[in-house]
Amino acid sequence: MSLELLMAIALGGAALTYILSGVDSKLRDAVAVIVSLTVATGVALLYGRTAEMTIATGFLGIPVGLRIGPFSWLFAMTVSAVSCLSVIFSLSYMRGRQRTGFYYAMLLLVDAGMLGVVLSGDLLTLFIFWEIMSWSTFLLISFNGGPALAAGMKYFVMSIIGSLSMLVGVVLIYVTVGTLQFAGVAAGLSEAASGYRLAILILFGLAFGVKSAVWPFHAWLPPAHSEAPSPFSAVLSGVLIKMGIYGFLLVMYVALGLKSFFSLGWRVLPVHTILAIIGAVTILVATFIAVIQTDAKRLLAWSTVAQAGYIFLGISFGTAVGVAGGILHFLSHSVFKALLFMVAGAVEYRTGGVRDLDSLGGLIKKMPVTFAAALIGVCGLIGVPLTNGFVSKWLIYKTLIVEGSPFLAFVALIGTWGTVLYGYKFLHNIFLGQLPEKYKDLKPAPFSMRLPMVILALTVVLFGVVPGLPLGVIDSIGSSFGFASIGVTAGGVAAETGTINMINIFAATLIGLILAWLIFRAGARGARVDQSDSYAAGAYVPADKYQYSVRFYDPLQRLMGSWLKDPVDSFYGGLAVRVGKVAEGLRRMYTGLVADYVMYVVLFLAALILVEIVWRPW
Amino acid sequence: MRILWFILSPLIALAVGLFFLGLARKFLARTQWRYGPPIYQPLIDILRFFTQKSVSHGAVFDLGVILSLAGSFIVVLFLPFGGICPLQSSGGLLVILYMMLLAPLGLALTAGEAANPNSSIGVSRMFTLALGYEVPLLLVVLAVMARYDTISIVEIVAAQREGVSNLATFPLVLAGIAYIMILPALLGLRPFDVMQAPQEISSGPLAELGGRYLALAQLQHAVNMFIVVSLFVNLMWGGSSNVLIFLLKMIAVLLFVLWINASFPRLRIDQAIRYLWRWPTLIAFLGLLLVEVMRK
Repeated sequence: MSLELLMAIALGGAALTYILSGVDSKLRDAVAVIVSLTVATGVALLYGRTAEMTIATGFLGIPVGLRIGPFSWLFAMTVSAVSCLSVIFSLSYMRGRQRTGFYYAMLLLVDAGMLGVVLSGDLLTLFIFWEIMSWSTFLLISFNGGPALAAGMKYFVMSIIGSLSMLVGVVLIYVTVGTLQFAGVAAGLSEAASGYRLAILILFGLAFGVKSAVWPFHAWLPPAHSEAPSPFSAVLSGVLIKMGIYGFLLVMYVALGLKSFFSLGWRVLPVHTILAIIGAVTILVATFIAVIQTDAKRLLAWSTVAQAGYIFLGISFGTAVGVAGGILHFLSHSVFKALLFMVAGAVEYRTGGVRDLDSLGGLIKKMPVTFAAALIGVCGLIGVPLTNGFVSKWLIYKTLIVEGSPFLAFVALIGTWGTVLYGYKFLHNIFLGQLPEKYKDLKPAPFSMRLPMVILALTVVLFGVVPGLPLGVIDSIGSSFGFASIGVTAGGVAAETGTINMINIFAATLIGLILAWLIFRAGARGARVDQSDSYAAGAYVPADKYQYSVRFYDPLQRLMGSWLKDPVDSFYGGLAVRVGKVAEGLRRMYTGLVADYVMYVVLFLAALILVEIVWRPW
Repeated sequence: MRILWFILSPLIALAVGLFFLGLARKFLARTQWRYGPPIYQPLIDILRFFTQKSVSHGAVFDLGVILSLAGSFIVVLFLPFGGICPLQSSGGLLVILYMMLLAPLGLALTAGEAANPNSSIGVSRMFTLALGYEVPLLLVVLAVMARYDTISIVEIVAAQREGVSNLATFPLVLAGIAYIMILPALLGLRPFDVMQAPQEISSGPLAELGGRYLALAQLQHAVNMFIVVSLFVNLMWGGSSNVLIFLLKMIAVLLFVLWINASFPRLRIDQAIRYLWRWPTLIAFLGLLLVEVMRK
């Protein structure tokens, strides 16, 4: 399938879905699924292809084009696969709701926008699709109205600031280099002064930093992720914020280039080290804030910020292994975080919109498949060996330790323990403990929700046991950036500096499990008992009151509570209030009297004439 | 031959761990001027548990205890024990750190499915305490890895001098002191036995366990004791190529920790964290700094 046909299907499918929603809702759902499936298959068929093409040269004579290579393909594949699963998940989630047609059209449009971003061959195309993606994302975040509107607004304002900064960067590059084609830009920038290259990095970094929610640009993410419809939260967290990561990789290693990027900054504190430190700060702040969240989706949202920190740390640390670990962690995170948001969505769907971690419990008895998916997802998030999150984090840690940054490694490792805390809290407060009376007759998640969850859960394990599959593609991305190969084997990495072989570890795990199971089998069988048949020191077990989930980590919360505020968010809040006041003052100009307006015009002209007479600039 | 060690080394760890449990009970009894049970009492207890009736709260309840014991067995495969190390070249110390997650995670799953608030509180305390001691522990482990410039535990052991006099040699002195200060917390012994705290929360995660479930939890406790002590001996005391000397070093470390255990009362969980994040963390931080400075 050619690239322009792929984009045409993706964009046309979105429009077609919207048109069909007036005709028949079943047909529309079917078309939405077929379009997303076609796009995903189309991208999969492009595996291993390298191509570049120009669509048109209409706009100001600047060519608009697409291209594909291993770098674009990996991101495009993840985007289209997660979007496709999210559309399938939406089938039952959105049934019977208002404005479903609009929802599907926007979901497909975001999908198309993201595909366009990763497949674009020049900065102009990138910017156009970036805007399509950002705008349709805003409409979907605010889909539910109410608090979602405020969350969407927060996203929108930050996103626009990022976009404008990116536009300035694009124009700046066009003015100095004269082309927007990636190859041409790279050639042009390699001759530019280091201050200019740093300016380009900062301008683009602002746009990509906002999108990937790196500290201190993360403030939009927690409200947006928790208020958006759950299937879209999966897309948002799974792939959309990774567009920022794609952008960073693009600017760091394609536009600026390896050598040029590393030479930026000062000898003691190069720019890439500063970026790695920002990644570490992101991990630390977000992880501990996630521990005290009580809203299931908000907890996952803060966790997304933290995991984006890991990715950022990996890619900006800038060793072959580190960048490979960062990119692999992007893939791992896409899979398990999409999975976890779907779990939260399935629970929300069955319990009638409950996301409060303090009022759920015991759902494992009613939704066993969802629990299994959640368990695998949380294991991936923590990075338990034999899940995909382990391999990617291992690569990042290893490079930090071996290349002599033990303090960064420390922050990354301690973040993992924080992840254990909130990951278990998510599992325990939703699925374990006592089942409340009101959820006695809860049904398991419908098939169209279980299917995507099962597929994602299997992917978590598959990429955890055979990490060679994605690492092969990632290694070729690394070589296209100019890194040495990291020596990929089916079971992991075999380099001189350290080997990991997941297949060995898998065998060891199997032996351990069999041994433990044999010992377990040797004992007398236990009798299955009900949840009310529980130890209470001889006292009666009260229904609905024999559960410990409110303030689950109470001692920690009391100890650290005062530290776990988000100063960045309150700073933005204060800034917004102040800007509002200034605007309120400016508004007083509009008195509604024509005479006043005439006076403004005359005053303005007089000022212009004065300037011309005194300084003669024109 | 290698396959045989895959099976044998977990069983050796199990035997040594059970011996440690018996030794611990005996030691505590003797410090309190009691005679105490015979040293093989834990083995008798576990055999008795296996024959007793028990209750199960569901599939995850069963899976959790199995996973917990299996997790400890797997860690043993990565740990050198007097020259025996079945899995040397698969990720090293980082994998050990991660594999050590499996056991508490399994126990937490069992405790959660048990639907008992005592268990949940125990798990909450277990993870909070873990977060507490991981901060200094990671600094110590990173200092060791930075000192020997490798992430492989086998190479770390090989880089240290043979013998008994090489406990926490310069520049790892500070890291070693911090490590010793957190050892009771790693083992869950007093003053850090907040997770089980029998008098407060009915043994915490173990509250619902009986029969073979309790037996497996005890076995896991035994293996965990082996893991923590042998990790210390490997990282800080040069390990040994001789199994007997290795064992003697382990017993020496264990007796020290048991002495602390017998002397101090239990801390509250927030007091424990405050302690762990203050002195051991500070010393471990300086220790890592020292190693970094020496390396430059």
